[in-house]
Amino acid sequence: MATTEQGQTQKPSISSRIGDEMYIVLLMIGVLVFLVVAAALFIDGFFQGQTLVNLVTNNWYIVIIGIGVTFLLITGNFDLSTGGVIAMTGVLAVYFSQAANVSQNELANGLGLPYGVAVILALLCAMGIGALNAFFVVRLKVPSIIVTLGTMMVARGIAQVVTQGAQRNTSLPDVFGIIGNAQIPNTTIKYSVVVMIVLIIIAFIFERKTVQGRRTYFIGANSAASRLSGVNVTRHLTFLFILSSLLAGITGLLLASEFKAGVSSRAMGYEFDALVVSLLGGVSIAGGFGSVLGMFVGALILSTVQSAATGLLLSPDWQFTLKAVAVFFAILAQSYVLKRRQG
Amino acid sequence: MNQMTPSEENMNMENMALQQSQSEKIRAIIKRYYIYFVLALVVAVFSVVRLDEVEWFARGHFLNPNNIINLLRIAVPIMTVAGAFTFLMIAEYIDLSIGSALSLAGVVFAWMILNGFSFLPAFLVTMFVGLIMGTINGFLVIRLNITPVIATLITLSLYKGIALLIVPAGFSGIKSIGEQKMPAWINNYAREDVIFGLPMAFFLAIVVIVVLVVAQRKTLLGKYSAAIGGNATAAELSGINRIKVVWILYIIVAVSAALAGIARASFMSMGDPLTGDGMELWVIIAVMLGGTRFSGGEGNVEKTVIAALIIIVITVGMLTVIPAYWQTFALGAVLLIAVVINHQLVGDT
Repeated sequence: MATTEQGQTQKPSISSRIGDEMYIVLLMIGVLVFLVVAAALFIDGFFQGQTLVNLVTNNWYIVIIGIGVTFLLITGNFDLSTGGVIAMTGVLAVYFSQAANVSQNELANGLGLPYGVAVILALLCAMGIGALNAFFVVRLKVPSIIVTLGTMMVARGIAQVVTQGAQRNTSLPDVFGIIGNAQIPNTTIKYSVVVMIVLIIIAFIFERKTVQGRRTYFIGANSAASRLSGVNVTRHLTFLFILSSLLAGITGLLLASEFKAGVSSRAMGYEFDALVVSLLGGVSIAGGFGSVLGMFVGALILSTVQSAATGLLLSPDWQFTLKAVAVFFAILAQSYVLKRRQG
Repeated sequence: MNQMTPSEENMNMENMALQQSQSEKIRAIIKRYYIYFVLALVVAVFSVVRLDEVEWFARGHFLNPNNIINLLRIAVPIMTVAGAFTFLMIAEYIDLSIGSALSLAGVVFAWMILNGFSFLPAFLVTMFVGLIMGTINGFLVIRLNITPVIATLITLSLYKGIALLIVPAGFSGIKSIGEQKMPAWINNYAREDVIFGLPMAFFLAIVVIVVLVVAQRKTLLGKYSAAIGGNATAAELSGINRIKVVWILYIIVAVSAALAGIARASFMSMGDPLTGDGMELWVIIAVMLGGTRFSGGEGNVEKTVIAALIIIVITVGMLTVIPAYWQTFALGAVLLIAVVINHQLVGDT
């Protein structure tokens, strides 16, 4: 909070040194701190080590898919297929690694592939959905919102067909349940959370320090100009779509491993949550603006609001309304602040 | 090689021009009538596919009168929403909240009936709720300038959230709860035979569809939405009030969603807060299949309505042939195929 206020009063010194993106991130960190303090004041037992750790760890899956969604959003594209891809990858990984011909029950029989092969094949299928997205959006120039709604259904449809609308959870090798359930010794933190943190750091470096990463912003700010100045827009967007699906695939594998089951209804609505956290973190759909760090802060805000709602004994039915209100105010506040800063 | 006399060359060019205009004519004809062809094809496939098990028009056959009546009862409310949605897509806007709007309207309607209101007040209040929802959507998009996709995702979440909050905790929807019984006549609107076995909801929806088709062809609203979708700046410079037109379009879409919500609640005798989930997909598929251009400016309400019927025929017909768990995959595939057809026929390039 202090920094942002300073930024406003001593405009030339601080404000000019940090970019608009960091400015918004700082603003959202301020909001986050405010929310946490408010929750700590009004809810008994909120301000405990474990609760605070949970704020970071609860939404790990949203953060992982949020990385790809954020990059695409910066280029002005949506990816609503992530939830479907999570379900599909989980189901396929289970199907590939289930033992073959062991039971009368169709759902207990898989392909009996070795675990490693099964995982790689499932991830390739996930990337296939990303390639499909890219083909329609980049080659046929169809709006991404329409295409990814379609591929979301195709991916979830595959999950439903393979599981006959239910789930597959038997005759799995023991190794399947390890990565999703392993914890850092002496803590309750899962390795999935470590994966999230590593990916966030890599994504942050990619976004800030690499030429590839900066191209994302260039394309988002002005696609035509970037093409004319020699950026291969087609290739870069294709890369981002496949990356997004791959991240969703990794999430799907971790979730399938955690529950040791491939469930066709897994991750319903996650695509929406990924969008919500990106928007809370200040990513702009107008293009060329936003950061993964902001998305991470957005995810923390979302978990804080969710835990606070639980702490206040609100029914789970409140979650949709709360999300809507939170995103609405975040968007208004961000555009207001940026306008003031520029003018 | 180059020994053609000028006149021959001329003829050659004329020939080519003729060929080109002919191929363009064929293209135009395909573009105009393909949707009816697809409908006929789909109906034909579902009529033939189980002939070894059932007789023509017998019980269980796709063209059985009862089956057709049932299909129309389900289809028509969705056709109205799709028709209204076409205007919005022609103007290059989108509304993802229609599913939630439909659910919320159904819940409000069922709640009022359950609490002793008679049909007409409940109907009118629900339509008014639809009006408010459309106004909110329009306000976010056109006044606050939030991107349509984001704005309507916000309201998608909001309307669904409100619908869930109206339903008492522990229940899946507004229905008979303990002492409070849902009156049986709630069914009448969407099930009772008025004529040809079709209910009131059907005829009202048909009226709405006719009004929408005429509105697109004959009124300024249709022309203005095409102008806005074609080139928003040019439209505004030539004096079209973009804000007003788009706002009206959002209201029309939400009101038709509310109308469909009433039909749905009446049909199921309950207000289910999740019943409209995924409706935006059905409608977008219909609009794409109906040949509305992705980037706005061109489209046809009539074709969208036929396309919506095709989608219902496919979903209902498929249930008789393959297990229900294929449905999601099939719908997604239909959407992608519709996009390709659309690209080939309308093409933006």
